[in-house]
Amino acid sequence: MKNLIFAEVYKLFKQGKTYYALGAIFLIEIIILFSAYSQGQDALDMILDNLKQSFYFEGNLLNGNLLSYLILNTLWFHLPLILIVIISGTLTSEYKDRTLLSVMLQPVAKWKFILSKYIVAILFTFLIVLFLAVTTFILAYSIFGDGDLIVYLNGLSFFESSDAFNRILWAFGFGAISMIFFSVVSLTLAVILEEPTKTWIAGAFFLIISNLLAKVNFKNYLLDNWLYVKLNDTWQYLFHFNIPWNKIYLNTTVLSLYTIVTVFIGVIIFTKKDVG
Amino acid sequence: MIITSYNLSKSYKSVKALKNVSISCKKGEILGVIGANGSGKSTLFKILLGVLKPDTGLVTISSKKTKPIGGIIEKPALYEYLNAHENLKVFGRIQGLKITDKFVINSLKKVGLPIDRKDPVKNFSMGMKQRLGIAIALLNNPECLVLDEPFSGLDPMGISSLNTLITTLAEEQKLGILISSHILGELNKICHRLTVLKNGEIIKSGTTKDIINESTIAYNISAANISTSEVLKSYDVTIKNHQATVIVAFEDISELLQKLHNENIAITSCTPEVNMNKLFEN
Repeated sequence: MKNLIFAEVYKLFKQGKTYYALGAIFLIEIIILFSAYSQGQDALDMILDNLKQSFYFEGNLLNGNLLSYLILNTLWFHLPLILIVIISGTLTSEYKDRTLLSVMLQPVAKWKFILSKYIVAILFTFLIVLFLAVTTFILAYSIFGDGDLIVYLNGLSFFESSDAFNRILWAFGFGAISMIFFSVVSLTLAVILEEPTKTWIAGAFFLIISNLLAKVNFKNYLLDNWLYVKLNDTWQYLFHFNIPWNKIYLNTTVLSLYTIVTVFIGVIIFTKKDVG
Repeated sequence: MIITSYNLSKSYKSVKALKNVSISCKKGEILGVIGANGSGKSTLFKILLGVLKPDTGLVTISSKKTKPIGGIIEKPALYEYLNAHENLKVFGRIQGLKITDKFVINSLKKVGLPIDRKDPVKNFSMGMKQRLGIAIALLNNPECLVLDEPFSGLDPMGISSLNTLITTLAEEQKLGILISSHILGELNKICHRLTVLKNGEIIKSGTTKDIINESTIAYNISAANISTSEVLKSYDVTIKNHQATVIVAFEDISELLQKLHNENIAITSCTPEVNMNKLFEN
């Protein structure tokens, strides 16, 4: 298993598309930062004109914390989409290039092979979120400096600079769990669909549907609390004024269970399938 | 026997790809499987290699090795973005082998690949990819090798050197080799036995010599002065340039060649012309 994981990591980092993904993430950050640099201050002034007459804000509100929060919000769509393409591609490309057949001609257990792909997908997702977080903090703070964070979440909330950094850091951490869920789903879709384009379309569709359903009030206790779409935004809870830690832990545990079940389903389907 | 299959059958939806196919191959033997496109060769080989489950039937391999059988299906599938060394290392690693640089060099040399090529295999010719595919198939020292259409896409030089490699592996390393192709001429050169597959069924099986002779309706005899032969006038013959195509039975060809020799016809080659309709006749 260790050898399979090593081989998967080796292949992943030997492929150009992995670096394209990292480049795309970095480019998204740059675009957000550039937009904020060129237009952000005017927009903020317009929104907060009235508030500034009643409250005192420490430092410039267009600061590293706000920019980090804005980039954090790529966890809604941009980052999972990139992950879906890359992670599903680790298997669909093997189907397309028939290297999967070559691997299966070696004395390798099918369940071990696919499980190693899931493990590497999870590790890679962590790495990508870490990359996003580190580059975000470095760029945002070095360009825009420190300051209080203003967040609109069912109303405006303000967080002091030091508190804001911790909240964003934790949000990246819990956001990584959500991203892992999307990665694992995309790999399972690849197991089922095999063909790259079909898998990308299905993955993007899954992401869009998930985002749409996240906003729907089902008026049903189970669906409104435990459907996966209601757990994927747990990282946003870090920006509630009083952080609901118990809810965050519970949601994360349940989402992790969803992830494990998805992996299990993928392994079963792959093991039962003919590769030839 | 190193590998034996008993009554293999496989269907894809409504199409019956294999019907009760039983074959066997012993150590050091090269068994050729010939059939037209869609005859079931690849399905048979996928089942033998364990990547496809048969609907009915059984495959037994008499080997206690970790990897009793290696092979290539249709064309070698390699990680095109990796070079030959890296491909060998990745395929070795996934099966738990510790692949050293020395081992890689020996493997490449064994299949006649250059050891100094460090560019991705996407730049390799089909012949080089076939060789690398064989080197990967040989990792972990299997006792049986299954090669599906290894000659497709190869130039004559590539075919010739692949033939040499396959023969060497069978003779020197005593590998049982199953090889499929629709190029009868190549199978004729290297196979000890032939099996003819048609519509998923074995219609003929035997030594290569017997199968070829059964289906031979004519012989192509080449000689610079072949048109001067008086002997050939009593045969059904067509002469073009310096080659005569003579319709003659297998039993009578030796006598004809002797007569031509006595006539001072300087024969440079004599090759059987197999009638494909006869070969694929039940």
